[in-house]
Amino acid sequence: MFRILACRMIVPNMHILTVEAPAVAREVQPGQFIIIRAEEEGERIPLSVSDWDRERGTVTTIFMSIGRTTHRLARLRSGEYLPTVVGPLGNASEIEHFGTVLLLGGCYGIGSLYPIARALKEKGNRVFVVIEARSSYLFYWEDRYRMLVDGVHHITRDGSKGIKGHIGRVPEILASLGEPVDRVIINGCTFCLKRGSDATRALGITTIVDLNPIMIDGTGMCGVCRVTVGGETKFACVQGPEFDGHEVDWEELSQRRKTYMAEEVIPLRTSKCEEHMHGEEHERKEKHGQAAAPGEPPGRERKQPQHTGEVS
Amino acid sequence: MHFDSLVDALEFAIEKEEEAEQFYTELAEKMERPHMARIFENFAEEERGHRRMIKDVIMGRPSFVPQPRVADLQVSDHLMDVAPSPDMDYQQALIFAMKAEKAAYALYTQLSEASEDSAMRDLFHLLAQEEAKHKRRFEIEYDEQFSGEN
Amino acid sequence: MAEKKEKKPLDLNRRQMPKQPPEVRKYNFNEVAFGYPEDVAVEEAKRCIMCKKARCVQNCPVEIDIPAFIQAVADRNFAEGIRIIKQKNCLPAICGRVCPQEDQCEKTCTLVKKEGQLAIGRLERFLADWEARQGHVEMPDIPEWTGKNVAVVGGGPAGLTVAGDLILRGHRVTIFEALHRLGGVLVYGIPEFRLPKEIVNREVEYLKRLGVEVHTDFVVGKTRTIDSLLEEYDAIFVGSGAGLPWFMNIPGENLNGVYSANEYLTRLNLMKGYLFPTYHTPIKAHRRVAVIGGGNVAMDCARSALRLGAESRIIYRRSREELPARFEEVENAEEEGVIFDFLTLPLRYIGDENGWVKEMVIQKMELGEPDDSGRRRPVPIEGSEETWPVDAVVCAIGNSPNPLIGTTTPGLKLGKKGNIEADEETGMTSREKIWAGGDIVTGAATVILAMGAGRKAANSIHDYLMGGNGHGNGADDGSGANTASDANAGADQNTT
Repeated sequence: MFRILACRMIVPNMHILTVEAPAVAREVQPGQFIIIRAEEEGERIPLSVSDWDRERGTVTTIFMSIGRTTHRLARLRSGEYLPTVVGPLGNASEIEHFGTVLLLGGCYGIGSLYPIARALKEKGNRVFVVIEARSSYLFYWEDRYRMLVDGVHHITRDGSKGIKGHIGRVPEILASLGEPVDRVIINGCTFCLKRGSDATRALGITTIVDLNPIMIDGTGMCGVCRVTVGGETKFACVQGPEFDGHEVDWEELSQRRKTYMAEEVIPLRTSKCEEHMHGEEHERKEKHGQAAAPGEPPGRERKQPQHTGEVS
Repeated sequence: MHFDSLVDALEFAIEKEEEAEQFYTELAEKMERPHMARIFENFAEEERGHRRMIKDVIMGRPSFVPQPRVADLQVSDHLMDVAPSPDMDYQQALIFAMKAEKAAYALYTQLSEASEDSAMRDLFHLLAQEEAKHKRRFEIEYDEQFSGEN
Repeated sequence: MAEKKEKKPLDLNRRQMPKQPPEVRKYNFNEVAFGYPEDVAVEEAKRCIMCKKARCVQNCPVEIDIPAFIQAVADRNFAEGIRIIKQKNCLPAICGRVCPQEDQCEKTCTLVKKEGQLAIGRLERFLADWEARQGHVEMPDIPEWTGKNVAVVGGGPAGLTVAGDLILRGHRVTIFEALHRLGGVLVYGIPEFRLPKEIVNREVEYLKRLGVEVHTDFVVGKTRTIDSLLEEYDAIFVGSGAGLPWFMNIPGENLNGVYSANEYLTRLNLMKGYLFPTYHTPIKAHRRVAVIGGGNVAMDCARSALRLGAESRIIYRRSREELPARFEEVENAEEEGVIFDFLTLPLRYIGDENGWVKEMVIQKMELGEPDDSGRRRPVPIEGSEETWPVDAVVCAIGNSPNPLIGTTTPGLKLGKKGNIEADEETGMTSREKIWAGGDIVTGAATVILAMGAGRKAANSIHDYLMGGNGHGNGADDGSGANTASDANAGADQNTT
């Protein structure tokens, strides 16, 4: 059992969880993830690690309350326990002296990029961060980034801060930096990863994405996390989670993440008095390409499909 | 493709085998995992064996005897292509090798059919059969190692 | 697989074990067979002719004193019977259910030719279940601590056996398990209807009561490396089991609805997907499920799919005679209505507009002429392609050994498929203080073989810890000179 030290909402629908897991804290590196169960009957879901304290033996993750498991997780409070926290899983980010690196983060990715930014700075890189959200009130950790990196830029859907639009407008930021960028690293939902990769493809900048397929064991055993990268099947849990964003088969990944969409709503229909979160309609399709198929009419009943797949 | 003499044709074949050997050797050096490097070194060694055999033919010591057609198990025909990469595993290596041998077989068969000279035709036919045998060995290995329950 | 299995059941006088009728059990996940009632067990035991040279014992990977426990059953001295088994096997309720006895102890039973072999496995199961019903389990005496600490990596059949054996010899044992529950394939792989999880838990609890320490949610190779554990432990046994599942590498395998057997069974068993939504891990209720493969795992998948309401078929490339699955499981599957398509090979899967598999293209095969090794290998029949509708495919063709340890332990010699190389008799690896056994060494095999490997390794570890004599084959330089000959086995040699 793993004791929760803190679990609270950091911005609407986004939660920060700090849990005691000394063995994980001892080894974890930027870019890695953990798998948790929120309760005994719960599923195993992967969450990217956003920070840690090796001395205190704690691990911090930021997650979006989006499906059954994360709803449950969001209701837990300090002093309660998680039955499973296992990790660190996946390969660590490749951290070297690249030169200038642009980090692109949306939703939980804003958190999980933080250790990567820190490690890149330690290696002497110039690091710029672009954070993306629907509106400025959904940004978090801006102050942490400001103290760490060489520049923080914003993209908001409603134009309340920075550039108005979505992540596809990142080339404008790249152009405005006044220096060539050697590498782009994107963390966030599948949609954000895909749009970001599309935006850098024409510019020929190496773009690394942190993939978020459905997982169960996270050690290579079940194979549910397979993704096609450069025409070949890879197991994201042991061969990833980071891959070349220009090589990923995004359509396949989005489809695979939707596998259990129908099942996700079953407990909502059958459960009696669980305090449901209300589906936040504004976070629907644009933010999570996986939420609704193209051309599908919007509807707030449709839950985010991430259920098993929800990842960090 | 046209060859003026049998020796030309043989030299072409030797070159092909050398290329294959070279290719497997380089692949072996690229492997991240030592056990995979050994596998490709062995593949290279087998190509070296082929080359020696063809040289024997040139030296007038033909070790080829006419052989019946080698049955094609067609194990690799429907498998997807595998691109060589440093993190290849044994399954991928075998698929790659089966497909490479099949391509070599197809090349020699084609050359045999296109040859007007009967000695050359026989030679390419024999080389094709050698490649077929080689492929079959990989097929059997694949069959045993990766299709035991299938 | 070289020899064809005797598929004819010989149960002339062998006592039948009551089972749920097929038309009932195909709709539930409860255990199929009920086990012998006491009287039937005693009757069956009395059939044993107590051979002097007990060949059944020789064929038991853990060398249980079979005639002695059978005699105890015949004498109705059940407590004595279970005690005899537990001297050699700390997981009898499990082995009595899932061991392929027909290929081991029962195969060489003298009664085979006369009246049907003795039902050794069923009697083992009977004793284990009898003990559980008594409500109290006899605890053996544990000797004083030897001062030695052993780490066991992986809580599957091999690891549990090593832990059980070494704790009884006075060593301190800690199991590190990657999943949240101990048991390995016993909990994630083998379905409830074949091995109720309660039974696995019972045997695991027994080990804990013996004093085995357990760390679940601990991935050796990630949470800590082998070398880091060696700073604290005097010896390490690696039984980390199955790794990446194999796929056939044909088009369409990443469509939705195409699963590895590991995923399908893990959702169902470890995560209890069949109880969704009470348990939260979903599993799809498909209408037409095709399971690729002919082993026990394939049978488990096909029978599970049936219980989830699907039309379920086994697609196997060879013929019925070559099926690697246990005969009993094939028979159970057939009774329940699993459809078998032999000599059939999937060529590719076709998806619908949402990326879900909707059809599979297959090719019919025939057995070719026997090759040099005498085997008739399947070859495709020209023009026999067909397209079949499916909405799920489960690929049950095996898996490679888990890569996490091999890739994070320098100097540990690996075989061609990434398996850890270990001495067959002792389980010693190329590194001092490290032993290995089970699927991580052999590739996918059976529960009892893994236990047998665990037994041998435990003996070797004990000798090492007590004698302090060096580690046998540590001098191996890992050049792997034997791979060429392996690759060429059964084919003509025209290399060197």
